[in-house]
Amino acid sequence: MTAAAAGIGAARALPGWVESTVDFLRLLSRRPVGLLGLAGIVFFILFALVVPVFVPVLDATDVTAVYQGPSAAHPLGTDYAGRDVLNQLVHGGREILVTAALTGFLSTLTAVALGAIAATVGGKVDAVIVAVNDVVLTIPHFPVLVVAAALLRPDGVVVLALLLAALTWSALLRQIRAQVLSLRERDYIEAARALDLGLPHIVFREILPNMRSYIVIHFILGVTAAIYLIVGLVVLGLVPLSGKNWAITIYFAVNQGALYFRDSFLSIASPIAMIVLFQLSLVFFVSALEDIFDPRLRRS
Amino acid sequence: MTLLALERATRRFGTGAAAITAVDDVSLAVDRGEALCIVGESGCGKTTTGKMLAGLLRPSAGRLLFEGQDVWGGPRELFARFRRSVQLVHQDPYASLNPTRTVLQTLETPILRHRTRDRRVARATALELLEMVGLTPAPDMAAKYPHQLSGGQRQRVAIARALTVEPRAIVADEAVSMVDVSIRISLLDLLHGLATEFGVATVLITHDLAVARYFGREGRVAVMYLGRVVELAATEALVEDPAHPYTAALVGAVPEADPEITRGKTRVKLRSAEAPSLSALPSGCSFHPRCPLMEPGLCDVQVPELLPLPGTRDVACHVAVRERTPAAELLGAR
Amino acid sequence: MTAPVLAVDDLSVEYPTRRGPARAVREVSFTVSRGETLAIIGESGSGKTTLAVALIGLSRAAHVTSGRILYTAADGSTEDVRTMEPDELRRWRWRECAMVFQAALNSFNPVLTIWDQFLDTARAHGMRDARQVRDRARELLDLVHLDAGRVLRAYPHELSGGMRQRVCIAVALLLRPQLVIFDEPTTALDILTQRAIIDLLRDLRAKLGFATIFISHDLSLAAELADRVLTMYAGRAVERASVSDLFYRPRHPYSVGLLRAVPRVSGALGSVASIPGSPPDLVRLPHGCTYHPRCPLVIDACKREEPALIPVDTPEHDARCIRWKAVAELVGTERRAVAEKLA
Repeated sequence: MTAAAAGIGAARALPGWVESTVDFLRLLSRRPVGLLGLAGIVFFILFALVVPVFVPVLDATDVTAVYQGPSAAHPLGTDYAGRDVLNQLVHGGREILVTAALTGFLSTLTAVALGAIAATVGGKVDAVIVAVNDVVLTIPHFPVLVVAAALLRPDGVVVLALLLAALTWSALLRQIRAQVLSLRERDYIEAARALDLGLPHIVFREILPNMRSYIVIHFILGVTAAIYLIVGLVVLGLVPLSGKNWAITIYFAVNQGALYFRDSFLSIASPIAMIVLFQLSLVFFVSALEDIFDPRLRRS
Repeated sequence: MTLLALERATRRFGTGAAAITAVDDVSLAVDRGEALCIVGESGCGKTTTGKMLAGLLRPSAGRLLFEGQDVWGGPRELFARFRRSVQLVHQDPYASLNPTRTVLQTLETPILRHRTRDRRVARATALELLEMVGLTPAPDMAAKYPHQLSGGQRQRVAIARALTVEPRAIVADEAVSMVDVSIRISLLDLLHGLATEFGVATVLITHDLAVARYFGREGRVAVMYLGRVVELAATEALVEDPAHPYTAALVGAVPEADPEITRGKTRVKLRSAEAPSLSALPSGCSFHPRCPLMEPGLCDVQVPELLPLPGTRDVACHVAVRERTPAAELLGAR
Repeated sequence: MTAPVLAVDDLSVEYPTRRGPARAVREVSFTVSRGETLAIIGESGSGKTTLAVALIGLSRAAHVTSGRILYTAADGSTEDVRTMEPDELRRWRWRECAMVFQAALNSFNPVLTIWDQFLDTARAHGMRDARQVRDRARELLDLVHLDAGRVLRAYPHELSGGMRQRVCIAVALLLRPQLVIFDEPTTALDILTQRAIIDLLRDLRAKLGFATIFISHDLSLAAELADRVLTMYAGRAVERASVSDLFYRPRHPYSVGLLRAVPRVSGALGSVASIPGSPPDLVRLPHGCTYHPRCPLVIDACKREEPALIPVDTPEHDARCIRWKAVAELVGTERRAVAEKLA
């Protein structure tokens, strides 16, 4: 489909996606908060995924340098084992970011797929999906997660993401289903039915593209929710602590007495700050997105 | 030859106490190349009738016939053929096109699905259709998204989209009521041309009597009231000499863009200004509580059938049928 | 002759868009005399609604860039609505000049009964005595042929569109204004309801003697009720005439085009046709006469300079067209519909 659009657009103007990206950035540039959010997200992605490639892991324990304040050698001080806090931060982002993104992706995908199927197929399929969804929705997430984590001991990014996604898709499903139900009544969908274009076309080409913005926003909100869940699980010590991430840094800082040392403040505050700032960037970005995707603003 | 027909079609919505009958026992037929108008006020069932004609709503009772065959009761192949043969043009030009798809995508998809696998052919056909509906230069128009077009241009795209599958009939529901006054006629002309040049039957549904008169000037108009057809007649006969008191009330009441005519028209004095609701329909003829010709004991008891009168006219009114049928015929009928 | 109730002088209104200011109303002038009815007609984008909202000082996004809106009260004192203090303006609105919008459900607060809506409006304008308000409300509902007892207790959604429009009219008349502005008062109503509202308005105007401005895209509303008509195109007043001059002897090609674009139900159909093209972009107006790209009588001079509003035929009839004599030749002076004469 995009190929056809580009095919005809190319002769006359820029391809559609370039134009819409430029348009998007232009709209974003008028919303400082959103721009700040985007800058934050880009920074954290670089910091957590690119910087580690160039910075070696410094994991050697140094008992002479436990809980030091900031210095030229250790800008953010050292942790309970005398390791550089900044180095810990550099290498501790990837796992959280990847797990959260994967969780957001899986839970959004599940919600969109099931929501769209429920709304378009209707009948018994709809009833079953809605019933299952209601059950999942009423389960208190965190206690179940605690139990599931204790039983499954999820030690990989994928397993943890699957576990989190299994519990978080349900909130979005109802909204997706309601949206598809309302879009289904649109005149252009009726026209597509009259033209006998088939259900797959109607769902994937006519309905879902109209929910792009909605889906993107909910994906990002899903990522923020997932981060809090991951951090909560780790800090409570409910998932194996073999890896290296901000939440684990917090866990050890708390459990190794960082609260009681004079110069240990940064070793516990800086991973918290990373998480808070990343979340803040996401929330800022989403608030600008909601603004930009508002059709009343888009209509020029 | 009759192309598309509703035969004693009824459509109910809801169940139990909340059930309403939106369309009650309606029979309408359109021939190949005919321009038929359905006129009525809100709640008269004209849109539901249109959707039944287009096969988007199944009648609760009665049949939909396509080339004489029962669409809903017939074989699957018949429905598939019917499905593409009857297309729709909607009222709201801002809701009838998918905002995420370009004009070309909108037009190409049905062509690729039903007529050819060759993208180049599909594209050429789409451009041809754009030229036909007056959207030129076609390649420029094809690249646009709906929000880049005016209301009138969008309606033209909607008409072109309906034409992609080479339909035999088009049902246009209030297709011009939301576009600017100054361009309505050109859209009506475009639709009318499809009927006269390509033999596509067109059913225009409208609340606007003037639009119906213009569009149906060579055809017929059906007037609906609370789910029933009350009068079906050749357009000029209908506006010049309405037989049903409701039609007469409409023709007399409609404000016209001519100060002398509109201020000097004779008007039918109705007995009540408010229309009854569909959920509490009056007994007998549903127009009787408002009708100046109401005869107690007849109109409030017996539902009038749509009966033929001399000339090209059917009317559902006890009084009009009695007074307009020549005495000889009435005697002969007994 | 007494001063007109409202004299609008060179009024211009702009509103910001992403592509720059849209000049929605440009140097529009007209007067409305006591008890007179003026219809302002035009298509969407002609600026007619922006104009109406600017008249009562309600525009938020749009701002008036120049001009005067002179209102003369019953005691003969004249004041410019634009220079009124916010408090004064609020008092003026409703007490002197009321506005009735298209009868949509959303012009009412859905959780208040009709009585509450009356009471709120009355309180906002200093009528404190609830009994007095009730008497006035009953009197007005009676005047618009509604059953006051039932309607006052009803919620907006319980009333039909026609009944809601009657209530709107009654609320507008609460404080006995001298001038009432109606914005598309019959749009979206069924034919028989439209007729009832039109007859009601004619009746009320005769009984109460208020002056009226109708804003509408619907020529038939002007034909029904107007004494005089102002045609707007792309923010400009392009023709001002008495109702019979405008309908039978229009002198601006746009007025002619509009008249031909609306078929009639009674009488001969005549030569019905649409205006080619579409209304201009208010941010980038065409050079010269803004109508020239759609005009069948266009000559080179039309593209160079925007014409002034000049008197044609009679002193009470103006058109903004240098080709008005050519138009006059085409449509003549006979009292017959334009479409019929051009057939």
